[in-house]
Amino acid sequence: MRDLRPWLNLILQRRGRLAIGALLLLATLISGIALLALSGWFLTETALVGLLFAAGVQAYINLYVPGGGIRFFAVSRTVARYLERLYNHNTVLQLLTDIRVALFDQMAQAGHRDRGRQKGAHWLSRLTADVDALDTLYLRLVAPACLAALVALLVVLLLWLLLNLTIALTVLVLLTGAFVIASWLLYLRTRTLSGELSGRQEHLRGEVIEHLEGFSELTAAGRIGKHAALLKRQSLALDKDQAVIETRTGWHLAITQLLINLSALLVLWAGFALFESGSVSGPVLVMLPIVLLGLNEVFAMLPDAFGKLGATVAAAKRLNEEVEPSAVAPAISITSTALTATDLTIGHPGTAPVMTHFSLTIKAGERLGIVGASGSGKSSLADTLAGVIPALAGTLQRPACAYLTQSTVLFEDTVKANLRLGNAKATDAELWRVLELVELAERFTREDEGLNTWLGSSGNRLSGGEARRLVLARVLLSGAPLMILDEPFTGVDTDTRERIAPLIDRWLEGRTVISLGHGPEALLPSDHVLHLN
Amino acid sequence: MEPSDPARVRRWLSGLTKSSQRWIRATVLAGVGVGLATIAQMALLAWLVHQGVIEQHPLADLTPAFLALVTVLVLRALGQGLQTRFASRCSEEVRRDVRRQLHRKWQSLGPVALSDTSAASLTREWLDHVEALHGYFARFLPQMMLSVFVPLMILAVVFWLDWLAGIFLVLSAPLIPLFMALVGMGAEKVNQQHFETVSRLSGQFLDKVRGLTTLQLFGQTAQASDALHQRSDQFRLITLKTLKIAFLSSAVLEFFASVAIAVIAIYIGFGLLGYISFGPSSELTLFSGLLILLLAPEFFQPLRTLSQHYHDRAAALGASAEIMARLDQPTSPVKATGLPGSSDAAVIDFHRVSLCYDTGPEVIRNVTLTFRKGETIVLTGPSGGGKSTLLHMLAGFLQPVSGSISIFGKPCGEQPFGWLGQKGFWIQGSWADNLRMTSPEASDIAIEKALHQVGLADLVEHREHGIYSMIGEDGQGLSGGQARRLSLARIFLADYDLVILDEPTAGLDATSEIHVLEALHKLSEAGKTLILSTHHQALMTLADRLLIVHDGEVKDA
Repeated sequence: MRDLRPWLNLILQRRGRLAIGALLLLATLISGIALLALSGWFLTETALVGLLFAAGVQAYINLYVPGGGIRFFAVSRTVARYLERLYNHNTVLQLLTDIRVALFDQMAQAGHRDRGRQKGAHWLSRLTADVDALDTLYLRLVAPACLAALVALLVVLLLWLLLNLTIALTVLVLLTGAFVIASWLLYLRTRTLSGELSGRQEHLRGEVIEHLEGFSELTAAGRIGKHAALLKRQSLALDKDQAVIETRTGWHLAITQLLINLSALLVLWAGFALFESGSVSGPVLVMLPIVLLGLNEVFAMLPDAFGKLGATVAAAKRLNEEVEPSAVAPAISITSTALTATDLTIGHPGTAPVMTHFSLTIKAGERLGIVGASGSGKSSLADTLAGVIPALAGTLQRPACAYLTQSTVLFEDTVKANLRLGNAKATDAELWRVLELVELAERFTREDEGLNTWLGSSGNRLSGGEARRLVLARVLLSGAPLMILDEPFTGVDTDTRERIAPLIDRWLEGRTVISLGHGPEALLPSDHVLHLN
Repeated sequence: MEPSDPARVRRWLSGLTKSSQRWIRATVLAGVGVGLATIAQMALLAWLVHQGVIEQHPLADLTPAFLALVTVLVLRALGQGLQTRFASRCSEEVRRDVRRQLHRKWQSLGPVALSDTSAASLTREWLDHVEALHGYFARFLPQMMLSVFVPLMILAVVFWLDWLAGIFLVLSAPLIPLFMALVGMGAEKVNQQHFETVSRLSGQFLDKVRGLTTLQLFGQTAQASDALHQRSDQFRLITLKTLKIAFLSSAVLEFFASVAIAVIAIYIGFGLLGYISFGPSSELTLFSGLLILLLAPEFFQPLRTLSQHYHDRAAALGASAEIMARLDQPTSPVKATGLPGSSDAAVIDFHRVSLCYDTGPEVIRNVTLTFRKGETIVLTGPSGGGKSTLLHMLAGFLQPVSGSISIFGKPCGEQPFGWLGQKGFWIQGSWADNLRMTSPEASDIAIEKALHQVGLADLVEHREHGIYSMIGEDGQGLSGGQARRLSLARIFLADYDLVILDEPTAGLDATSEIHVLEALHKLSEAGKTLILSTHHQALMTLADRLLIVHDGEVKDA
């Protein structure tokens, strides 16, 4: 449960909204209960007075106050319900934005990490599901639980005032039982299953994504049907376990309502004794059980939320791990001219270093090529120089830099928006110029939308080489004095590469460039080439 | 994808009920039982009040009735429990069916068409959208029937007690479905839009998170966060517009329920006082009056519950529309021409093959080729020239618009073959799990040998659990080159006659490149037919036959 705390705190930042929303909910509930209870009181009163009238006895009955009350509650219930729903859904949607933006900001602050490479594709979808689970925390769980407790206490208080303490306390015991069964006990009984369920669902999601990623290979091997059967079996098992949780939730709801109904019955029974002794009037005796029956409405909201609480807590726990700040922040002093690396140890914390005692000096305007085989630590070196991962030891001084990572990352957005990440102020003319440079201008002039062409998921409409050239163009737009380009020409065919490399070289004139590649031909023209072993 | 016609979506959805009829019926039956118990509960309650307050019976005389009431309450709880128990099973068959249908569609679309949609979206359809059907079958559908049966039962009781009060209920009742239908029609459309917007918003969030490192490198995280905030707010305002209408339906219901209770209370009160001189009100007693009052909210309750489950229906319709759009996605015709392929089991034959996407220009133009078994064929040429397309057709992932292709006398894709795409593929699991994906029967020794062939053996040898150690345990995963070599190891293990490789060395580091080259050489030596595309000089030396693919045409180099 501790895992929910940061998210509850986030939600509580909108305290005012939450309070108003809760008050509207309370008004709805009380209007509903009062409408029926007052009507019951009124009927009994009229029945008793009617008997007196029939017996020819003079009696007085005030019809205006109860009649007006009944009409008032009929309208107030409707209005309060409508306002409550609209207001609280607005709150929920605001919380939904708060949660996503806060999560994104915290992840951005948690330091540079190449998450995609670390965690695989399905990590992202798990993240979505986890965030979704937190969206309804307030409206489904916090607000109903608080209100159920509050209204139940009010009812107990009313019983104490109108009947006596013993009855009030007995009902308190019954209602507490109902509350615990609907909430805590159900949570305990579903916690493990429900918590695991979301984990298992996400595990299955990962496997389905892997299935799709390997669709070509599996189809080629004639194994696609067999593999799919495995996934189908797993999803069926999940369906069955979900049914178990739903069934338990249903039984808890049934028992909760049984206890509330029994408490209404108890009040009627105990009330009769007081009625016989004349210490309570008939109308009040009828009104109180109706009030208790009215509690069913708010108590019925609890089991559903608490049956899912296990999953919600598990989701919160995973998200909390996600935003933990990375252990070490890159310590880089930004200078204006040269790059100086002294005695760097490069690698990932907790694993053997990839490189030790690495020192390097590059003068402003110099071109350095770095060639290295797989496992030579080429990309780790690039990551360290660019500040994506911190150096485990040593010092690094460099000017501001633009970094082309080994992986090609495009956003589901327009070509323009993708390019402008490199330079937010770039004009369309500048964008076209840089596209011209990487020989993509023609490609997008052909599209109806030009620079506003939408790039689908992972830039799927582009070939590998085109996507690479686009992200290269994005980096080239940046005015940074230092460029670090890791495998700038992945997937770009030789002819194109040979045509555009000299143009890029000219474009970058005066700037410091480090290009890294698996071989000399994968680099930009360089003054020196460093070979990593 | 085009949104599907709503009426068709509804038909498809109701067509799915057949397999679950049994559970839905049981759920409704239990619900009717609960309704009967509720009527009995209220009747006993009203009777007890009447006996105690009006007839002034001593409490001791009423004990049997109290006990009966306890029994009824227990029965009602039992009914409620059983109802959810049955409801939870209502969609099991349905979900299984739809998952099966979707997967069959994926298979007929083939890997190339599938890759137009992100794996995450497809997975969402397969898991989440199918999941969204549950609420419809488990909650909405049974409740729809209950919201007819239970109010009718209550109405019968009320008419029997006092027909005028019955008429009040009848008057308010038909208005409710009418209003709900009117409001529901508007809400449904917007609800679907809502569904779509949520999935887009999630997409936006995910996309930004996925590229977080890139955003950080360009110092654009704050801007991205702002954009996310703005888009979320836009989404909120659109959704609120919908909700203003959608909530009207429940407000209307609430209003009628409240007003009906108020009117009935006042009518009965005046009747009991003897102020009403017409109709059946002179017969009213506290028992009948109170019972009518207590039943009035129960009369509306099933409809209120139904309106709460309305979003289940909307969610199911939204999900179904997307599922159907996927199921309707056109697949390329399996056989466009009547031309039979070559039946020669020793050759791979392209006969006048052409291909274009949609109505675009031809990507492959009238290609006729013959490769012999055991040859290594290398395709080269500029990017976008049609190399990948040719390989995809050979693999059976794309169907030619005209012409025919046969592989060793059989249609494409009929016999298992090795495929190595531009992205290697690995699953979270051990090395052995990964290799057994395609060769489940492989022995440990064969697996070790296959890893050795592609130069991955040293990654495994020093690990405690050998080939049973997990890939990516160190949090690093595999590099692009290693992933591709892993895929290549699968090909070694499975021992296919035909291996198709799309740019097997593109973007590889020198080590991986050497291993891939060596591995291909070994495959070629072993008499396998290799067909690959590349820009890489060293690979071209492997070729028995070098072809240049340019502008959709193929020439010998």
